[in-house]
Amino acid sequence: MLLASSFVVVALVFCIATVLALFGVTHASMSGAEAIERDGLAPGMLAPVWSLVDSTGQVVRSPPCTPLQLIMFTDHSLKAFPSVVDGLREVMAQERLEIVVLTRRRNELAEPVLRLIGLDGISVLTGSPSLYAAYNVRVTPFAIFVDSAGRVRASSLVNEAWQVTKLLQLADLPLGPENLAPRSRFWRRAAGAGV
Amino acid sequence: MDVLVLCAKTALACLLIVAGGAKLSDPASFASAVRLFIPFRVSWPLLSATAVGISLGELGVGLASLTLPAITALNALVFAIACAFVAVSAVGYAFHRGRSCRCFGALSQRRFDAAGVLRSAVIAGVAAVALAHVGGAALQLGATARTLLFAAAGILAVAAFTAARVRGTRNEPGPEVAAQ
Repeated sequence: MLLASSFVVVALVFCIATVLALFGVTHASMSGAEAIERDGLAPGMLAPVWSLVDSTGQVVRSPPCTPLQLIMFTDHSLKAFPSVVDGLREVMAQERLEIVVLTRRRNELAEPVLRLIGLDGISVLTGSPSLYAAYNVRVTPFAIFVDSAGRVRASSLVNEAWQVTKLLQLADLPLGPENLAPRSRFWRRAAGAGV
Repeated sequence: MDVLVLCAKTALACLLIVAGGAKLSDPASFASAVRLFIPFRVSWPLLSATAVGISLGELGVGLASLTLPAITALNALVFAIACAFVAVSAVGYAFHRGRSCRCFGALSQRRFDAAGVLRSAVIAGVAAVALAHVGGAALQLGATARTLLFAAAGILAVAAFTAARVRGTRNEPGPEVAAQ
């Protein structure tokens, strides 16, 4: 014979256990290398639409007027990734490519430091945590290529120069029919950009 | 035996609350799974409303089962829902094998497969156990206990909704945003 209200105890134990399990599952899905591989947007997806003003007063838009736009999600800490800087210098010469640096929040150091390391002519824009979230970017430096139609062409975390150039090559590949189809936000995206 | 029955009853109530809460975070996705089982053309708003209705139904039955345990009719209702799970899994396995069932919204990437049918059968088995009679004293709840359970169920539903939303966002971020 059970005591009165034994049900309450059992129910509360189950509820607490379930909430903890949900927390664990969510935490696991948001951490680790595998989770970072899923960051960014899949090729073919529509990228966020925005217009921001850089320090010179120039309005920068995404999607771009140029055929391709490289959005670098980073800040002054990019100086700690000399190989990525080399990669950016390599692709900077391409006229069809517009490169912009998007910081997560206002960062007074970003522009002078980027100029100092030789990344002149790149617009440094102040983004926001919500804009980073819209691109599904958590870890920097992260690169996303967007075409003039507003579709993501390539996206990945970058640590080496070759990754930047490889991403550019991937961005030049035509999108397949499966990428061009209207993508519901509920389809699971392919992991990473393969860089 | 009574403890087993109480565990079965609360486990199923939690399962229904989590399933309902998670589905509500992503009703359009669940609507696309519901569409698989409707053989004729249905407008999207109706489909969406059906999906939300099913999700709210699961949530409501789970909530009622947790906070009103003395009502034995709810056990039968939960058993009927569990049998419906078996039927849906079996039909999904037969006709839509490999498609995502969205049984727990974005919380799970389960698909219609043999394991899914087995899981549903186990749930139905647990629901059958919950049908067994339990001494009345164990299920007598005062106003405070009922409020406590209602709050716990609410927290569980919100946790499931939030977890599913977080996982859904990570799986596929929204396509458009305007800044500045």
